[in-house]
Amino acid sequence: MEKKLSKMNYEEEGRVKSIEQDLKNKVAGMGIRVDKNLKMITKHPLKGPIVVEVNGAYTSLALSVADRIIMEVKR
Amino acid sequence: MRKILLMGNPNVGKSVFFNRLTGANVIESNYPGTTVDYTKGYTKGDSEDFEIIDVPGTFSLEPKDKAEEVAIKMLEEEKGALVICVVDASKIERGLYLALEIIERGYPVVLALNMWDVAEDKKIQINIEKLKSILNIPVIPTIAISGKGFKEVMLSIKKAASVEVKEIMEKVGEIK
Repeated sequence: MEKKLSKMNYEEEGRVKSIEQDLKNKVAGMGIRVDKNLKMITKHPLKGPIVVEVNGAYTSLALSVADRIIMEVKR
Repeated sequence: MRKILLMGNPNVGKSVFFNRLTGANVIESNYPGTTVDYTKGYTKGDSEDFEIIDVPGTFSLEPKDKAEEVAIKMLEEEKGALVICVVDASKIERGLYLALEIIERGYPVVLALNMWDVAEDKKIQINIEKLKSILNIPVIPTIAISGKGFKEVMLSIKKAASVEVKEIMEKVGEIK
């Protein structure tokens, strides 16, 4: 199933399916690329940033950035 | 005097590195974004002196905020500088991304795999010899808070030279 990274639930894991073109280089430096596995760690209220795990490291992303990353999740 | 830039992702220990090398006392803390401006210091090599610059942490050479802008501007202003790229060994992938970008711009780079002890605790194994042969630059495991590896870093500065990214990519291709 496809969903936006910003819509993933706590503890949910998924694989990056696509990233908007102009965002690709920006998030690549944080280890987020197509085909990477991500796990949702924290979501903050009031459209705050999210925290995801990638390669065993935590990284935070603005919700507006997470909105533009499409994930493939199981089920 | 030759200049050395300390570059790396945020929160990998660049300032601890800087304090160790120069004997200065820059503020260190264990959260990212402590260094937003730069600090200069001096250190003695075995044959020459160096000016060391502590650069704010950045994930890539494409600026996303003020601190990253400072980091990139400094790199661009110091054309003849050597770069010690400090990488968190337990989060090596994103560190290598930045290292490759710096190499791509033609700077001689020494790669310091910092927080080696943390990586060991997390049971992360890194094949240093292989990394060295792929990147063709000095690669040294370090623990900035205890001082491990600093002698080797200073000694390897002489060996650092610019490398063509194309050559690196060719070798990576061979591995696959």
